[in-house]
Amino acid sequence: MNALPITDADVNAFVDGTLAPARMPAVEAAAAADPVLAARIATAQRHNAQLRDAFDSWLTEPVPKRLIAATAAPVVPRARRITPWMQMAAASAAVLVLGVGIGWFGRELTLQRAGTPTTFTREAALTHALYATDINRPVEIWAAEEARLVRWLSRRMGFPVRAPDLNSAGYALVGGRLVAGNEMPTALFVYETPEKQRLTLQVRKQPVPGGEVAFRYALENGVGVYYWIEDNLTYALSGNLDRAQLLTIGRVVYGQLAAMEAVAPNVAPAPSVAPSVAPSVAPIAAPNLAPK
Amino acid sequence: MNVSPATDVPLPQPDLLAALPRLRRYARVLTGDIHRADDLVQETLARAWEKRRLWTAGTDLRAWLFTVMHNVFVNERVAARHEARNVSLDDDGEGGEAWQIPVRPSQYARVELIELIHHVGQLPVEQREVLLLAVVEELRYEEIAVMLAIPIGTVMSRLSRAREKLRVVFGQVPGAGASLRVVR
Repeated sequence: MNALPITDADVNAFVDGTLAPARMPAVEAAAAADPVLAARIATAQRHNAQLRDAFDSWLTEPVPKRLIAATAAPVVPRARRITPWMQMAAASAAVLVLGVGIGWFGRELTLQRAGTPTTFTREAALTHALYATDINRPVEIWAAEEARLVRWLSRRMGFPVRAPDLNSAGYALVGGRLVAGNEMPTALFVYETPEKQRLTLQVRKQPVPGGEVAFRYALENGVGVYYWIEDNLTYALSGNLDRAQLLTIGRVVYGQLAAMEAVAPNVAPAPSVAPSVAPSVAPIAAPNLAPK
Repeated sequence: MNVSPATDVPLPQPDLLAALPRLRRYARVLTGDIHRADDLVQETLARAWEKRRLWTAGTDLRAWLFTVMHNVFVNERVAARHEARNVSLDDDGEGGEAWQIPVRPSQYARVELIELIHHVGQLPVEQREVLLLAVVEELRYEEIAVMLAIPIGTVMSRLSRAREKLRVVFGQVPGAGASLRVVR
């Protein structure tokens, strides 16, 4: 019927089942007339079945874990320009958004990413972000036990620690906790408004005794921090407030602490005094210590 | 499915997982070495994620992964040739275990299958690659030609040569011996 000679391509396609139907009769006829061709086709068909059998047996072998892991989308830090600080900022932002206390380990990790040492203000902002957003447990000891809280912190810090009364500014004491700073333990007080807007005040000893520092302001990752150093103690007042609001409260804090110091030096918690004494220290316009 | 190839569609991980055994098999046929094969699979997956924009969602992911693997393998081989002049797959080193099978075949004697697969291992890599894709993966010649970026005629000739060699070294039905050859 068909005069076209049977080619290798015909044989392959016939064996692999991809030959055009129109061409099939020609190959079949040729195989019927030629035992060598018929044997060749039969052998190839048998080999096909055997090859599938043999190679399919590999498919059931267990797949190594590393290959399973490699099917997941790779987590590649595309932008090499991300600085540790930006990572910390991102981490802190996540904490702020979630508003959950991820506790000490989270903080440790975040600090690790940020790279130590970090400046006091950065640490203060980070500590603020971690604890102030913790709805259920921002503190270890609540304000109901203020006397105990202050006693405990004073003992642990090694100097009399006082919790200023910020009710006049609309902030009530929530409580406090001890925080391990990079070099020094830090006492942390948490305050909040009825709307649950929170402020934190952190106090610690200066690692290296050194000069007085008047109010300085830094905006760290969206958290405003006012800090000052007095009598070898470093204070940091942090909150998501604008600079003017924060400064107002900072003055209240400073004034109260100064008054307490005057009234009861070296004596643990004195009752709070009305916030009337504003510090005379200047300058208010401090350099911005925000990250480079 | 008409999906713009410009959009960054992640590769469907379930499909990647499903393709793993076949990718490993293809890699094993290419490299002739089970350890290098898994390295090749890993490299292929990394490349696939990198180049995922080149895959059109809705099209055959397995065939695309094969293409990626083929290219990774070829590139590595070109690079390796600059270092080692020739890597013989016949070496009885690590390559030996690649062509073993752990099967209890249903229709054929295990010994026969082991022998066949060993002979496949002796074929040039270009031939055993086409043999696997055409016979075992049952891809169409046209698809293979596109995947390997070779003319369809080349696919055919490689397949024919592979078959001819297997026929010569392994053509006889066991026990039938040389008498069949006389008939031919």
